[in-house]
Amino acid sequence: MIDPHPSRWRSLDEYADQPDSKRHGEAEFDDTPLRHAASPGRRDFLRATGFVVAAGAMGGCSRAPGRTASPLPSQPEGYWPGRSDQYATVCGGCASACGVLAKVRDGRPVKLEGNPDHPLSCGGLCAVGQASILSLYDGLRLRQPLISGKPSSWEETDKAIATSFDSIRRKKGAIRILTGTTTSPALLERIRVFAASFNKARHVVFDPISVSALLDAHELLFGIRVLPRMRFDKAPVVAAFDADFLGSWISPVEFARGYREARLEDGVPFQHAWHAHFESRMSVTGARADERVRLTPGQIAPALEALASRLAARTGAQFPAARGQSSGLPESQLDGVAERLWNSRGRSLVVCGLADLKAQKLCAYCNHLLGNYGTVLDLDRPSLQRQGSDKAMSGLLQEIAAGQVDALIVYGVNPAADLPLDNHALEALRHIPLFVSLSAQMDETAQMARFVCPDADALESWGDAEPVAGTVSIQQPVFQLVGKSRPAIESFAAWSSQPAAAHDLIRAHWRDSIHPRHTGGLSFDEFWRTALQTGAVEVTPRSRARKPFRAEEVESLDPVAHGEGLTAVLYAKTSLPDGRHAFNPWLQELPDPVTKATWDNYACLSPAKAAALNVGDGDLVRLTADGHVVELPVLVQPGQHDGAVAIALGYGRRVSQRFSRVGPQWLYARPSVGADGLVGANASCFLQWSPEGLSYLRVVRIEKTGRKRELAITQTHHTLAVPPDLNPGGPPRPIIQEVSLDALSTPPPHHAEPHPELWPRDHQYTGRRWAMAIDLDACTGCSACVVSCQIENNVPVAGRDEVVRNREMYWLRVDRYYSGPPENPRVAHQPMMCQHCEHAPCETVCPVLATVHSSEGLNQQVYNRCVGTRYCANNCPYKVRRFNWFEYPREDRLVNLLLNPDVTVRSRGVMEKCSFCVQRIQEAKIEAKRLGKPIDEGEVVPACQQSCPTQAIVFGDLNNSKSRISMWANHPRGYRVLEEINVRPSVYYLKIIRRDGQANEGGHHG
Amino acid sequence: MGEAGTVRLPLIQGGKTLAQVTLDVLAPMERRPGLLWWIAFAGALGLLALGAAAVSYQVATGIGTWGLNNTVGWAFDITNFVFWIGIGHAGTLISAILFLFRQRWRTSVNRSAEAMTLFAVMCAGIFPLIHMGRPWMGFWVFPYPNDRGPLWMNFRSPLAWDAFAISTYFIISATFWYIGLIPDLATIRDRSRAGPRRAVFSLLSLGWDGSYRTWQRYETVYTLLAGLATPLVVSVHTIVSWDFATSVIPGWHATIFPPYFVAGAIFSGMAMVLTLMIIARKAMNLEHYITHRHVDVMCKLILLTSGIVSLAYGTEFFMAQYSGNSYEQFVFLNRAMGPMAWSYWTMVSCNVLAPQFLWFKRVRSSLPAVFVITIFINIGMWFERFVIIVTSLHRDYLPSSWASYTPSPIEVATLLGSFGLFFTLFLLFCRLLPVIAIAEVKGVLQHGHPSGGGQPRHEEGSHQE
Repeated sequence: MIDPHPSRWRSLDEYADQPDSKRHGEAEFDDTPLRHAASPGRRDFLRATGFVVAAGAMGGCSRAPGRTASPLPSQPEGYWPGRSDQYATVCGGCASACGVLAKVRDGRPVKLEGNPDHPLSCGGLCAVGQASILSLYDGLRLRQPLISGKPSSWEETDKAIATSFDSIRRKKGAIRILTGTTTSPALLERIRVFAASFNKARHVVFDPISVSALLDAHELLFGIRVLPRMRFDKAPVVAAFDADFLGSWISPVEFARGYREARLEDGVPFQHAWHAHFESRMSVTGARADERVRLTPGQIAPALEALASRLAARTGAQFPAARGQSSGLPESQLDGVAERLWNSRGRSLVVCGLADLKAQKLCAYCNHLLGNYGTVLDLDRPSLQRQGSDKAMSGLLQEIAAGQVDALIVYGVNPAADLPLDNHALEALRHIPLFVSLSAQMDETAQMARFVCPDADALESWGDAEPVAGTVSIQQPVFQLVGKSRPAIESFAAWSSQPAAAHDLIRAHWRDSIHPRHTGGLSFDEFWRTALQTGAVEVTPRSRARKPFRAEEVESLDPVAHGEGLTAVLYAKTSLPDGRHAFNPWLQELPDPVTKATWDNYACLSPAKAAALNVGDGDLVRLTADGHVVELPVLVQPGQHDGAVAIALGYGRRVSQRFSRVGPQWLYARPSVGADGLVGANASCFLQWSPEGLSYLRVVRIEKTGRKRELAITQTHHTLAVPPDLNPGGPPRPIIQEVSLDALSTPPPHHAEPHPELWPRDHQYTGRRWAMAIDLDACTGCSACVVSCQIENNVPVAGRDEVVRNREMYWLRVDRYYSGPPENPRVAHQPMMCQHCEHAPCETVCPVLATVHSSEGLNQQVYNRCVGTRYCANNCPYKVRRFNWFEYPREDRLVNLLLNPDVTVRSRGVMEKCSFCVQRIQEAKIEAKRLGKPIDEGEVVPACQQSCPTQAIVFGDLNNSKSRISMWANHPRGYRVLEEINVRPSVYYLKIIRRDGQANEGGHHG
Repeated sequence: MGEAGTVRLPLIQGGKTLAQVTLDVLAPMERRPGLLWWIAFAGALGLLALGAAAVSYQVATGIGTWGLNNTVGWAFDITNFVFWIGIGHAGTLISAILFLFRQRWRTSVNRSAEAMTLFAVMCAGIFPLIHMGRPWMGFWVFPYPNDRGPLWMNFRSPLAWDAFAISTYFIISATFWYIGLIPDLATIRDRSRAGPRRAVFSLLSLGWDGSYRTWQRYETVYTLLAGLATPLVVSVHTIVSWDFATSVIPGWHATIFPPYFVAGAIFSGMAMVLTLMIIARKAMNLEHYITHRHVDVMCKLILLTSGIVSLAYGTEFFMAQYSGNSYEQFVFLNRAMGPMAWSYWTMVSCNVLAPQFLWFKRVRSSLPAVFVITIFINIGMWFERFVIIVTSLHRDYLPSSWASYTPSPIEVATLLGSFGLFFTLFLLFCRLLPVIAIAEVKGVLQHGHPSGGGQPRHEEGSHQE
């Protein structure tokens, strides 16, 4: 500030004439504006004007809505804004009831992670489980009861339903409760109590992808209808017959974990582990097998029978008349498998996924002969994860058709879409006098129901689970009810005239029925708290009287007429196992681990069959069976049998109508749905009732339509060998490397001297150096990591059209390569993400320094600096960078609550890619700094590593020589992809172990 | 020296007098445009409008409106960019290098070739900007002072070098062109009646008075600028080629790129100059100025550069096989035999085979034939860049990421729009400025004696060419 009227002096005399006050002391403060308040200058005027204008402007602003706002003077204990808490609860994705930790940030759940303390899932969580969090925030979920399609209140609905119930009770009418498998003991108890209030009530359990035959077989053989718990961790030798136990069968996370464990012994590959797989389609599990046998669907059961007869011959047991006609079976292979199983008696497992009672009995017989019951197959603590009975279901359908059912309550299943119902059956269903659906989605069944009483989501309501007898968990809510839905348990309680809150019902049940089975000596409150905190507690399983194995029940298969026709194999897709998840865009877009196709179901044909029919990928074919017609695009699937056409169930669902406008909308955008407005086609019409249950095989006729529907496939080239016409005889690229078990057991040759470096090291990494290692031998390709990464990092759903255009946004993808003959190829999976190269090609080419290297080895993408030249993506040898081609729609404000607040939502026109979950690294660093200690091993766990069921991913500090990552990086199996171009990636891969001695040793340098 | 002094054909035919030259060249400017011009202008403007609409839509919606994908991050955008930059090269070559080599035939074509250069660089300059995901942040590639501390631009990035190279090239070319225009601007000024036209040209001609001193200074500046522009002919396309050569992508990572790109640029530039000149001389009655001899000389240059380009194609293949690098080998086999082989063979037929007809004098002297060949070369050189960019990217290291590429209609419209811009500017140039350097042409007229300042470089030695 300058004095507007400075006293200047020209000579010392003049200076001397000035008043003293001006000369000394005060002169220093001359420029204080207050001193001139009496004579406002220009600045004062401006200041005053500014104040008036600003005040006027502020006065004109509306006040923040303050009526209901209140400050938080005392925060809840332990709550830190901006820091997340984890709550142990139960996954609501399927009936496997894996343990999850719900990560809650500022009051809202943002991520589900596997609970490492859970005895079954052990920290893994599959893609479906990961994605199931979306249902909580689903804006189209039903959030209030409906009467005849019109929104209503609970009072009104309950009143109307209760009136109907009363009249049924009075006239002793038949009421049927149809549910999917529920592992909740409290809910089962409530249903029992509810059913008991009627004279003619029955609870029917049905699973869309059922293992009813397996349960029925055990009922006949052991006298109890149970599903033995399969301890894959105790069975290094596995023979599987059409059971996709790593992909979608019963409890894949638990099985994958056990499978991996059994194949290792003290951390090194177990010499005698073996997995033989017999199947007609190419499943995730078959892709992992040491020996994969390709059979027609009709040959699988005979192969099992042949195996059983071989095993019986070894024990000297009397085998019921082995069939003579075993032509077409791989006899020598079966001998080998029998040999391996026999040598591993009591530590082996035969599993069968066929919906065929006799085959299941033969399978149990094999296990019985091998002494696996009691060691590998646990009947005392059986699995409760599948309880459905096809027979009960077909009985119910007959009753409905005959008009004998007065009331039907449907919960957790969608019979109208999951079952092959003809118009007559649907009409009968519609004419049930009282039809109540508890579905939270407006699915095909809810559409027909008079009353819809939407169930609450697993993350917003209390519940419990007992997936394996004796292992119980509490499902605790982590969010307030979104809307006015009501947990099913409360509905049943209300209809039994005992209305109570779910929490009270669960707690009461646990006090009365679960806690007494507890032997640890904890009081109920302590027991309850322990269960809440750890996620699962062990109690004594309810004892079940079982009889000794009745070998006489085992019978040989019926001779099957060998038709030349094509058999449709209806299967559950790993990424979208049944129609319940058809509303979930993450799962719709998740590439199938084997086919890499998204957004549609399709007819998988073997290369030979496709060639014979003169069709290729995307050609629409019409499949016909007894008047049922389904039109699907063809997907040529190597490894599939020529006699099979594999079709995924769970598609063509009403709830997929919502995807008509998913993804960016622009001039040439094509919708994600088909002409009928749905994603895919529902193939459940091909399901067939047999006396024993539902059959997932159907002989179909196939014809070419001449039309096309381009498939949305994320990977269009499938082998590491370049096309032979372009490089005849060239070696496959050493992207995926394999090692034979023998080569691994011999000591590695002296490690070659490292090449001298001409280029000085760009970075010194004096502190930490983050790195990742992935064991390709452990990776099953299940893609749990892909969804986990997508949710953690706010990766948008791009929509079908964008996938067709090769513009999916995944930061982490799982590459799948075939090698060997297309009839039965070998499959390798390779998770691929940013390799965080030390000499990163992307870093040098960015003109604006939007991608830079951190001192800890991270390749960092600076979104707000990026101008989007895409040069970095072009120059990336791994092609892992993803560009925001559009502004991806984020209009659903409810779904936006699910965004991870630690990760920026990227705008259009910028590049993005894997960050090694830098937000988690930062969180750990801040915490370590606060506590003044170093970051310990395992404190930084990226989302992909966290969810991996087989723990194939390790992350950590390479500068710490004791860390697991250092061990893996220097592992004898360790290698880095494209090492020869010297970009020095920070992601290490561990070679696949080939146990059949036919390893593609790789190592060729390009 | 008189006409008898040379055995060569005169550069300018028709026995023009100095006054006739002025009249002939300025005639299109001084009469109303004909119907043909209006039709051409409407067409060009239509294309430009189409392109403007496409670019506006793309900038408003996103790069996704193009056919690019996760694997192929550049295609039409950078192809068009390199194509137009290449076109621009002929102008500088003719104006600077041929000037320093005293190739006096250049006088008839240098003006329009330089104009073509400027317009081509303008077209080229659009693409680096609009290919960005966030073009409104494009200025970040320039090292302007800011308060972001260490977050400046990346001097290691070839794209940053590009920004310098292109802006330098544009500035030097524009200056050179303008300096060369000044004597002619003064001529127009002197021929105009008092009024706005005269005022404008007075201003533009910077007080040119035609005096000996003016001429001498002009000559000095022009020669110096020619010297300054000469390295640019080599540098710009060298730097553009580094966009590819410094990468790790097989098919891009090649040391041959700088000379290969420069030769290709001159090749395509010459072809485009010929394409335009053949039309212009007819449409604007300049047959006496742009003669068969010009066409012949340029055809020979095309033949030479075509040879260099063909050699480069062969060398690339040889080096790929000789290197023993299987990724490199694959990329080239994939170019020739893979799913995009059609683009490769289009390129080879247009750039290697089509120019071979120019060995024949009969072809060289047939304007329609030359015109057709130059069109083929223009197409072929566009495809050369497309082949380099797309076929290298679409199948690189990891087969899992191999993809294809199909342009979207928006991309095609953008390419057409760039032609629209080019022709709009060129047609305006034809109307508003002398398409032939009057002063320089007067210098090569074979009149016995210079008159006035019209023959600045008419020296004894000049007839030795």
